[in-house]
Amino acid sequence: MRRARSLADLALAALCLWAAWYHTPPGALLRTALARLLGGRGATPALLSYYGAGARPLQFAEPLPPRAALSPGAALGLGAQSALERASPADRAQVLARAGLRSGSTDALGDWIGREAQRQGSREAAVLSLFCGEEAARFARDRAGGARGAATLEELARQLPPRYADRVGLAATALTLGTAYALAWPLPDSAQVTSFFGVRAHPLLGGRRFHSGIDLGVPVGTPVRAAAEGVVRRASDDRVSGRLVLLDHGSGVSTVYCHNDALLVAPGDAVAKGQVIALSGNSGLSTGPHLHYQLDLPQGPADPLLFRGARPPQFAAGGTEP
Amino acid sequence: MPVPESAPPAGALDAAARLADRLRWFFLPLALCALVAVGVHTAADVVGELILRMVDAADAAFDGLAARWTLTAPLVDLIGPSQRVFFARGVALLWELVADALLALPMLGYDERADEVKRFRQLAAKAWARPTTLRVAHPFATGAVALAGSCAVGRLLEGTLHFGLRGAVGSAADALARGCALAAVLGLVAFIAWRAVVHALVRADARSDRIPLRRARAFTVGLPGALLLLPLALAALRAAPLLSFLR
Repeated sequence: MRRARSLADLALAALCLWAAWYHTPPGALLRTALARLLGGRGATPALLSYYGAGARPLQFAEPLPPRAALSPGAALGLGAQSALERASPADRAQVLARAGLRSGSTDALGDWIGREAQRQGSREAAVLSLFCGEEAARFARDRAGGARGAATLEELARQLPPRYADRVGLAATALTLGTAYALAWPLPDSAQVTSFFGVRAHPLLGGRRFHSGIDLGVPVGTPVRAAAEGVVRRASDDRVSGRLVLLDHGSGVSTVYCHNDALLVAPGDAVAKGQVIALSGNSGLSTGPHLHYQLDLPQGPADPLLFRGARPPQFAAGGTEP
Repeated sequence: MPVPESAPPAGALDAAARLADRLRWFFLPLALCALVAVGVHTAADVVGELILRMVDAADAAFDGLAARWTLTAPLVDLIGPSQRVFFARGVALLWELVADALLALPMLGYDERADEVKRFRQLAAKAWARPTTLRVAHPFATGAVALAGSCAVGRLLEGTLHFGLRGAVGSAADALARGCALAAVLGLVAFIAWRAVVHALVRADARSDRIPLRRARAFTVGLPGALLLLPLALAALRAAPLLSFLR
């Protein structure tokens, strides 16, 4: 009896060691150390990639430009198309064949994801289904449990074995880009861009510095609207950014609205797309009334204009606001 | 008497069982350590939302301070929204490594006894009669992360078997994978996880016995560790979807 139990204990111990060795950061550290000791390089993933169930979007150089303002479905289609551009030709062909699609166009992918979202119950499960297959998406959705509402991609990815990590990365990229493409503009289209995204001469601090968003010149008191539905992560006031609001839209997409005159929301508030969240102003380190609008993706700040179909007018004299 | 042909497998099994029996002292502590480490990681992974909120609050406070002086004003952009997740995951990693040092590494000192159930009862009764922060927090946290670890190992096994066997056995792969996962979870809880709790009780008891008999000291000794471990333990309980294996 004791020996039979020893065998069972040995089998269970092997399972525990397998899980800890391959699926925890300390296991990765040990594997790296062992590989170094043995003179090899080892191919362990970065320690932080063990969090968020590995649902980290891939690095992307530049997203595909949108043709015009996009509906949420078409935005997700374009996000999926951009993500597929990052996949190898063989992977791309496999994804399209499994979905029964002849082309990877924005419209075809958007329609497919829309239909699948109705079947699977959420857009996250639908995008996972596109990249990992229907079986994997159903498996993940069933295990993640539907009682608490639609599961996030991270919750779904936690249910899948590690061999799906690369495909989950593609799905995360598609969702991130799809969410960014669906963002609305926070001000009326007539608001002029007074300073663009990128390195520029800073008007107040001096020297060439990176401008992480774009500045839109508007009179004090202009309503600032949420670019998409989301949760207020921060509503604070400091002497540089002034009164700022940070919205988290999920899938790694955040937007920031700085230099406001008044904030109309508080941290933790859920906001709807188009809801007025602040009144623009001239607070903080600023040379004139404007809104600093910033789009953040998991890779870092991105130019909001890259995700916008129609370009807003540019201020003729060029802008200087921080 | 000639050995029948069916005997060698039984003999091999017997030899393997004897070898496993002789090596228990080696692999059981490793298994306890590994199971707790898997559970701690599972908990650290789901506690991300709490850490993100902490990072947001710390970032807002830091920006408010740095923005007061021209020299430090550029530091306001040090942690942008994109870096929040990076910082939060960094904090989660640090939290996990500290929890591993407190809970998982000591498991390597596990010393199996024949009367393990009796030892568990005695120590649990003692913890009930003379509670200290150490006697309560460490075994509770160990139990919670060991349970989460059992579920995580079960889920990994289920996913691997489900997608690995699908080609060979078709739709039966689902039932097979589910059955194996459920058996693994139950086996881990019955044979490994509870031993981790016993060892946590043994260690907490030994350290508590060294505390002078004063109520305040019984509360304060081990309090920082407990404050660090309890949120993780609660996250571990949330990350232990036992019922999902039966759905």
